[in-house]
Amino acid sequence: MAGLSLKNVTKVYSNGFVAVKDFNLEIADKEFIIFVGPSGCGKSTTLRMIAGLEEISAGECWIGDRLVNDVEPKDRDIAMVFQNYALYPHMTVYDNMAFGLKLRKVPKAEIDKLVHEAAKILDIEHLLDRKPKALSGGQRQRVAMGRCIVRNPKVFLMDEPLSNLDAKLRVQMRIEISKLHQRLGTTIIYVTHDQTEAMTLGTRIVVLKDGIIQQVDSPNQLYAHPCNKFVAGFIGSPQMNLVDCDVEESGNSVAFVLPDGNRIEIPADKGEILKNGGYIGKKVCFGFRPEDMDEAPAGTPNTIKATIRVYELMGAEVFLYFDCAEQNITARVAPSTEARPESEVYFSINMDHIHAFDVDTEEALF
Amino acid sequence: MLSNQSIMNCLMKVKEAIGEEVGVYTSAEVFVTSTSTRHASEMKTLIRKLDVNDETALDGKVYYRVEELGRLQYLVTVDDTPAGRTVGKMTVLQLETMLNLDQDRYDKDNFFKNLLLDNLLLVDIYSRANKLKIDIHAPRVAFLAELTARDNGAALEIVRSLFADDENCYVTAVNEYDIVLIRQVKADEEEKKLLKTAELIADTLQTELMENVRVSYGKIAEEIRKVANSYKEAKLAINVGKIFNPEANVISYDSLGIGRLIYQLPLPMCKLFISEVFRDQSPDKFDEETLTTINEYFANSLNVSETSRKLYIHRNTLVYRLDKIQKMTGLDIRNFDDAITFKIALMVVKYMRYMEDQNI
Repeated sequence: MAGLSLKNVTKVYSNGFVAVKDFNLEIADKEFIIFVGPSGCGKSTTLRMIAGLEEISAGECWIGDRLVNDVEPKDRDIAMVFQNYALYPHMTVYDNMAFGLKLRKVPKAEIDKLVHEAAKILDIEHLLDRKPKALSGGQRQRVAMGRCIVRNPKVFLMDEPLSNLDAKLRVQMRIEISKLHQRLGTTIIYVTHDQTEAMTLGTRIVVLKDGIIQQVDSPNQLYAHPCNKFVAGFIGSPQMNLVDCDVEESGNSVAFVLPDGNRIEIPADKGEILKNGGYIGKKVCFGFRPEDMDEAPAGTPNTIKATIRVYELMGAEVFLYFDCAEQNITARVAPSTEARPESEVYFSINMDHIHAFDVDTEEALF
Repeated sequence: MLSNQSIMNCLMKVKEAIGEEVGVYTSAEVFVTSTSTRHASEMKTLIRKLDVNDETALDGKVYYRVEELGRLQYLVTVDDTPAGRTVGKMTVLQLETMLNLDQDRYDKDNFFKNLLLDNLLLVDIYSRANKLKIDIHAPRVAFLAELTARDNGAALEIVRSLFADDENCYVTAVNEYDIVLIRQVKADEEEKKLLKTAELIADTLQTELMENVRVSYGKIAEEIRKVANSYKEAKLAINVGKIFNPEANVISYDSLGIGRLIYQLPLPMCKLFISEVFRDQSPDKFDEETLTTINEYFANSLNVSETSRKLYIHRNTLVYRLDKIQKMTGLDIRNFDDAITFKIALMVVKYMRYMEDQNI
């Protein structure tokens, strides 16, 4: 087991493309950390630099107390699980798990011990004699994990290991991986572009964009306190509603004025932040989550008037989609709602949970 | 030559079936393997005595010859009992079959290697393919895996194992760094499926070997003689990818873009073009800040606001830098024509650098 430290790590490819810029991160021993972001944000490149599959252009990578910049990947004591996996079809589960060790000329008795230990952790001891064809999708995925576990690495690196699975198996494997982390007690660094995976698996999440870390925080903190507009929009499904609006002060109160002229008064403490920041009379981006919207009687102050475009029943909840000043807005309401397409609805917003972002820097104001 | 492991597996199965011990020696009187430990110390100088006979009884043992093309390959030893003799004969049969299969594999390996390296006459391709029962009209694609470290046989073994259940796949190593998979596909196989196969090879090799691997693939070859073209395309894709798309470790010949054209240019012509575009100001002499600015400006589709935001600089600073570049090179990259010239020139410089590094 080991922690990891990345200091000012940068990756510039020979064609001048900067994939990762000045990446700084301390990962504690036994932590389950997630790198998340849209494709091309540098998350896989960072993982490959930790693995040693990509050279580090600048900065330092430490695994435990060892600087590994110039250490061969196979000597870094790590194992990597990739997106595309296949078991060797003519081999039994046992042989599949033992294959890599045989190639490394590990003694037979040692292989036997390692395979049985890994099989026990994965709960697949009863499958060791089976061929891949006789396994279910989930069992195959577990065997694929087993091939890495037998190496007994200090750190596991996982590069979108579930992205090729169907939705049902994906959920099942998400739970399995979480359990596996508890059983193994090893540091895991997991790359995904799926924010649901990130939120459910990670003890901490690193949100990346254009090769730059946007925010590193616990799932709760990321959701409740995104540091900028990108994180706010990326974390959460359906994503946060974001509307550009003017900030106006009248008397003692500060309000957001939506493009359709609708005024939404904001709490005094938040108004104070805007006043002190010199935002009165300027534009800001107003953010609120779909679950922070409630249907309200017509004429209630501080509401948004909407004509519903789409009604989506999800079972335990309903998503209502409508436009507000050319912005798509989503509301998450109870299935008992009577709102339907074309119906007019008023929504109040839970003002304790609202966000505001600077329109130029996109940094969070609150 | 069969591996000791495969001979041992064969002996264990025979022993399981009959319950008799059996051992195997090579023609050089070296003990290979046995189901019983005592065989290792029993070997005597027998080869000369066994020169003629297929079966020789000596000191309570029976020895059987296993030959390939008339040459002694192995000696099988069993106890001189009726059951022992049955086991002996069965083992001989089994080893002969295994040798035939091994020979067949060796022949195919040779055939595909020579095919890929253009070492076969057209007429030989068809006659040898027919002899080896290789379908000459089946469409195939060559996938090439390039390793960063010399392969000690592990990578070849991994790729072979990965496709072990597909009898229409053939895997061979063309040198110590390059492994080729020739896979039979449908004539109109989807690009998605080919990409998936390439990704599978790359990911599996990287997982098992913990080593950076690049995988490429050529176009579908409609028949056996065109497989060499598919391989050459895959080889070209790897090289072009390394220069112009170094961040990708899977690349298709069909997605090389303008890099494909530049890669075909003769170096003197490239030098002429670069001196025409940049005069004495080669991009090699640009400082890092200038190069970053240019790359980011191109990456953001010549958008000044977006580029300055990404570079965390004021818009005016970016404009100042672009003016500086114009003074240096005479090219205003805010202008579309100049931007294209600049972009292509940068790619040509990259290509020239790569060729110089390769000492070509």
